[in-house]
Amino acid sequence: MNQRLPVAGPAAVRRYARDLARRHPRMLWSALALHVLAATAGLAAPRLLGGLVQAVEDGTTTAHVDRIAMLLAGFLVLQTVLTRYARYLSQVLGEQVLAELREDFVANALALPVGTVESAGSGDLLTRTSRDVDQLGWSVRWALPEWTIAVVTAVLTFAAALSVGWWVFLPCLLALPPLVTGLRWYLRRARPGYERESASYSQITTTLAETVEGARTVEALGLGRERVARADADCKESYDAERYTLRLRTVFFPSMEIAYLLPVVGTLLFGGWLYTRGEVSLAEVTAATLYVQMLIDPVDRLISILDELQMGAASLARLLGVAEVPDDRSVTGAVPADEKLDAEDVRFSYIEGRDVLHGVDLDVGIGERIAMVGPSGAGKSTLGRLLAGIHPPRTGRVTVGDVGLVELPLDDLRGHVALVTQEHHVFVGTLRENVVLARPGSSDSAITSALEAVDAWEWVSALPEGLDTVVGSGGRALTPAQAQQVALARLVLADPHTLVLDEATSLIDPRAARHLERSLAAVLEGRTVIAIAHRLFSAHDADRVAVVEDGVISEFGSHDELVAAGGSYAALWESWHGKG
Amino acid sequence: MRSLPVPDPGIADHRTPGRFLWWMAKAQWVTLLGGMFFGILWGSAQAVMPAVLGRAIDRGVADKDTSQLVYWTGVMLAVGLVQAISGIMRHRFAVTNWLTAAYRTVQLVSRQTVRLGGTLPRKVSTGEVVAIGTSDLSHLGSLMDVSARFTGSVVSFFLVAFLLLRTSVTLGLVVLIGVPLLMVAVGPLLKPLQTRSAHQRQLMGALSNTASDIVGGLRVLRGIGGEQVFLERYRRESQSTRSAGVQVARVQSVLDALQVLLPGIFVVVVVWLGARTAVSGQISAGELVAFYGYAAFLMLPLRTATEFANRYIRAHVAARRVCVVLALEPDVEDPASPQAPPPVGSVLADARTGLRVEPGRMVAIVSDQPDDSAELADRLGLCAAPADDDVTLGGVPLTALARAEVRRRIVVSDTSSQLFSGRLGAGLDVGGRGGVDAAMHTASAEDVLEGLTDGIDTVVAERGRTFSGGQRQRLVLARALTTDPEILVLVEPTSAVDAHTEARIASRLRDHRAGRTTVVTTVSPLLLDAVDEVALLVGGRIVATGTHAELLETDAAYRAVVTRDVSEVAS
Repeated sequence: MNQRLPVAGPAAVRRYARDLARRHPRMLWSALALHVLAATAGLAAPRLLGGLVQAVEDGTTTAHVDRIAMLLAGFLVLQTVLTRYARYLSQVLGEQVLAELREDFVANALALPVGTVESAGSGDLLTRTSRDVDQLGWSVRWALPEWTIAVVTAVLTFAAALSVGWWVFLPCLLALPPLVTGLRWYLRRARPGYERESASYSQITTTLAETVEGARTVEALGLGRERVARADADCKESYDAERYTLRLRTVFFPSMEIAYLLPVVGTLLFGGWLYTRGEVSLAEVTAATLYVQMLIDPVDRLISILDELQMGAASLARLLGVAEVPDDRSVTGAVPADEKLDAEDVRFSYIEGRDVLHGVDLDVGIGERIAMVGPSGAGKSTLGRLLAGIHPPRTGRVTVGDVGLVELPLDDLRGHVALVTQEHHVFVGTLRENVVLARPGSSDSAITSALEAVDAWEWVSALPEGLDTVVGSGGRALTPAQAQQVALARLVLADPHTLVLDEATSLIDPRAARHLERSLAAVLEGRTVIAIAHRLFSAHDADRVAVVEDGVISEFGSHDELVAAGGSYAALWESWHGKG
Repeated sequence: MRSLPVPDPGIADHRTPGRFLWWMAKAQWVTLLGGMFFGILWGSAQAVMPAVLGRAIDRGVADKDTSQLVYWTGVMLAVGLVQAISGIMRHRFAVTNWLTAAYRTVQLVSRQTVRLGGTLPRKVSTGEVVAIGTSDLSHLGSLMDVSARFTGSVVSFFLVAFLLLRTSVTLGLVVLIGVPLLMVAVGPLLKPLQTRSAHQRQLMGALSNTASDIVGGLRVLRGIGGEQVFLERYRRESQSTRSAGVQVARVQSVLDALQVLLPGIFVVVVVWLGARTAVSGQISAGELVAFYGYAAFLMLPLRTATEFANRYIRAHVAARRVCVVLALEPDVEDPASPQAPPPVGSVLADARTGLRVEPGRMVAIVSDQPDDSAELADRLGLCAAPADDDVTLGGVPLTALARAEVRRRIVVSDTSSQLFSGRLGAGLDVGGRGGVDAAMHTASAEDVLEGLTDGIDTVVAERGRTFSGGQRQRLVLARALTTDPEILVLVEPTSAVDAHTEARIASRLRDHRAGRTTVVTTVSPLLLDAVDEVALLVGGRIVATGTHAELLETDAAYRAVVTRDVSEVAS
């Protein structure tokens, strides 16, 4: 049932990245141009120094030295100014792109099909929201610009080295064997190694969090020794993962260092030999050596950031994947004739070939109260979701006024049927914002009367800031019962004619249950209600009771009829109601 | 390298953060020294590289002496290899130092958490302890990690200064005084950068919370509406985060440019002074190149020094948080000289409420204030704070017994009981005595297993969050039953399961616990009908006892509590 959300393929990621780049052509090209200019200005130093060495060797004046120093300073200032604007522009661009990425993602998440939202659970999506958005932020803000700069600098520096003389090309070739083999060897192994490493740290955190949050359970059941052993085992696993990546680096780092060292030594040796043969000048040898040495830093950076970019691309793929969930509704434009809800021969499966509902028929009278009872796992909640139009049935139909629920646009559906669950999320924001979800722009009097209807106005009006009180995580904490009342007030404003209640109050503290039942009764007033019930008293009170067992409705009728029929409901009622 | 984690993290000195850091460093002094040794070697190799390059240019290239050229490039290669090898060794020691400190922190905090048990959530917010596992351990590790590089940097800085002073006193002094001055020059910029970054980080945190909030409430938004409103809000926050980022970029880019300018000035000055000296013949062309190399290299030790200072400050803050947790003491201490434990089959009694539980019986506590019965349940198992002497087992106050003895004999399973991640079978079979199948049957939890692809071998997610509330409750019940203690106290064990299942559990529970003592707090008639004796708790006292049927008949107050649902809704 816990299906995972899709991940976008490489082609989709590339397409998106291209599209994103095209949205800001001016900024992108100006930033690149500035980086190229800044790097070019930085390349003057070795040339000038080379000339200086030659001049010193040949004998020169201090005036010449001063002139060269002035030139050096001039290029330095130029490079500084260009760097300032290049960096600024690329950071601004990074922020812009990042903002678009995350806003697109949230918009996609908010457009996810209801069926997916209900069955996928929020875990996967939450991870994407927090970890992947963070990772991508890091990549876009830091890794991508750094990498671009490194590439630009490396290419230009190499070009500058070659401009000294074509012969510099040869010692640079020395770097290739260790560089290419080392990099290939490392990259092939690095990804799984580092993934295992980071998973091992999440495991350490998870175990610690569980031990801390379950400290009482740990003590009560004497699990202390086991928890400590678990923490140590997590550290051991993390150590094993760390040793593996450390082994990789023990091979990789030195091979890179050698790859950087060889061209420098080679250039000096080769250049020196050419100098003795009189084929190049001392200035050229010096400049070439310094250029090759200067190459080390950008090459090293562009290699070490590769990993970061890979991770950024993986995060981007997960974020884009959210947009790839196909919609499971097919809006036809048909308009319901009335408010009557019907289910005909409904079958449904989460996993292909494993039906959880096997041909359910249910006709619900307008304004009728139906209670669904039955053992866990019999399919009550699934049936409830189908009746609320969240999933389309595999075969059969669920209709309102003879129009299939999944043929209605979501906004219209919400005016017909609503599913009320035990989940009562309070959003960070004011109470007003929390209530008006269904009808943005509702007047304060409408909000007040909705809260009055669910018996919540009393405590809301007692708050110093009333409707403007900020609630939710970080704001004023609401009790579970208050949160549930807010959820009910939302429903009053949404005003659907039919409600499907899935254990709406079962997780509420029994202390508050009685109060809440009154709030709930107010919401149910005048609506058709299908209630999935844990507690038999709700069944007793319903117009008709449907007993769901093994994916079918096995008994259906009024409380009295079922008790008289002497089936499984009757047996349960007997034992619950007591022989007293 | 030795194997990690260490079997015993030792007893930390948690009097002050400084002492804690010192204690930690002492505990891993061998690898710290190893890291410093290679750090020095690595730093020195880097420091002498420009000198070697200078010699190679002077003696090999400029003098057109091929054998000298080969010799000096050979020396360069050798120094480079020393740098590569000592670099990786330094890195290996640094990683070990990081890991040793981080693992030790995890071990210390885990052990302390277990020692505190139920006291922990009463004394410190759990989030703070969890934060140690997410961020503080890496701050502590980083301090140990950077120590090797820091030592290497200090040594290499002085080495370069020495080399320079030997060739030119002026240049040597320029380096020794100029480099620290340049670092100080960046100082004034750091402050606005930190303020702006902090502002941006705060907005980013808030934005991430908004996103999590939206995703967490996605069911509500997609079910009832309001997507547009929340998307607009997110866009607004996202845009203000972006502008904060632009503010940071304004300062950050200046700082980035200064990273070019300041070392650059230094290079220009050194080259200029050097070249002037060279013109007068005091130094050679190669030495001039070497000066250029020194000037470029010297930024590294300085950056490392700044990094060390930053990490030290962070580690100090982290150490303070760890010390706070390590200094906590449990609410219930073992008595100095525990009394002899009463024999198996003793009466559990509470003088304060007047409750008396005969051995081998199954007793239900009913109260219309669920808090009252939950508190009584806690007290029966020495789980309440402060501990009191009113609860006795065989006449001996629980507080006079060894805490381990009480835990072994009396198990309280409260509503906050948590499932732990890992293999389900192992999680249920606490103590490894077996009997999981029977307990699962009693808790009517077999269908939970059937729904899992790997059955009892399924790996449970963190806190068992993939299970529904009702499934979790039944698994927790099965686990409590598996522990099979002499006295089992269950708080509202069936509040989240449906009536069908509750009826099955009620019918099986008594047989399962036959011969041992069980206390249940509940108001469910299904469960009450299945126990030996019901005790009604009103206003902190047991006011009536009897069977469910008897009390229903004779006690109006009892009737009101257990049948309120029917009367309320029906009226």
